[in-house]
Amino acid sequence: MKINISRPNIYLLIVATILLVCVLLFSFLVLIPNGKKYREQRIELARASQELRKYEDFNNQTLSKLKKLQSKNRYIISAFSAIFNPDRFEKENSVFFESLKLSKLELLMQKNDFDVYEVNTTSKINSPKSFYNFLDSINKSDWIISVNFPINFKREKDMIRSSFTMKVYSTHKKNL
Amino acid sequence: MKYSYINPRKKSIFTPELQLLLTFFSVAFFMLIATYMFLVFKDYRFVKDKSDILKERTDLNSSIFTMNKKIAFIEKESMLAEKIYTKNAVLKDSISNLFDLVPQRITLSQASLLKNGLILYGITPNKDIYNFMLQAPLRSIFQKSYSSFYPAKNGWLRFVSTNYMGESDVRVNDADSPEELIGEN
Repeated sequence: MKINISRPNIYLLIVATILLVCVLLFSFLVLIPNGKKYREQRIELARASQELRKYEDFNNQTLSKLKKLQSKNRYIISAFSAIFNPDRFEKENSVFFESLKLSKLELLMQKNDFDVYEVNTTSKINSPKSFYNFLDSINKSDWIISVNFPINFKREKDMIRSSFTMKVYSTHKKNL
Repeated sequence: MKYSYINPRKKSIFTPELQLLLTFFSVAFFMLIATYMFLVFKDYRFVKDKSDILKERTDLNSSIFTMNKKIAFIEKESMLAEKIYTKNAVLKDSISNLFDLVPQRITLSQASLLKNGLILYGITPNKDIYNFMLQAPLRSIFQKSYSSFYPAKNGWLRFVSTNYMGESDVRVNDADSPEELIGEN
């Protein structure tokens, strides 16, 4: 049996075969590897986005923790950063003392972001109660101050002369 | 000589079959190239998105680090403030307890409060009142207690009471030093 195919049809068949081979080559050599790569990248991106969301959540949690801490300790933070003003201190605490004198503020030490200043105090009180009230009020003052030993009380007629050392704690290094 | 009476048919290389074939493959190639372009674009976007995510992650990391540092510092401030407030409150109670300890019949002329000791100067009608009403409670508080007396002009006795805790002598400097309060960290 003789198959009779015309010459134009043979050309057509050759062109169709060449084009089909090109399509197949392009698909298998270029498109399929790229498609695989795209799928892998999509999974990787989804994973990275998920991880980023975790970071964002943690960042938000940390921020809210920080805000809460800042608002809870607003008074302490401002007290630590406040510049100690001896005149204002004397004025504010003059109600507890008949007389109150502060020596010059001296830098005692710097450690772990904190500066500690020392100031010696001599005062006159008419009863120990005034001193208790002063110790109560010092915890509510605008600065972080500790009253330190030694504390001396000496009777002088109807008054008591007291002398003690105060330490002012600050995070403000340059401004005190 | 014979002539044909019909006009010659124009022969073109683009036969309807070839046109159909080219149309089919053109559409196929267009779709393949469009898919390829899509993949190339997605690859470019992936690289960009990945670098954006990495940058954002680095920023978040540094922001978390900074915030954690701030949190640690605020906690340190809060702890130090609490220690100082407690120390002041304890000091107030100590002084209050000291003055409550002194009976009405004994008059103090001077009191020195040290970190682990107490020195009292005063006047007492007699040794017994001092021993029972002041020395006894002082002995129960302090580990070592020394008293010395010398006569006053009105017949009473002036006394110096030195009391301290622990093995060492009375320390003038307090142990709650700023170094200890602030701590190592």
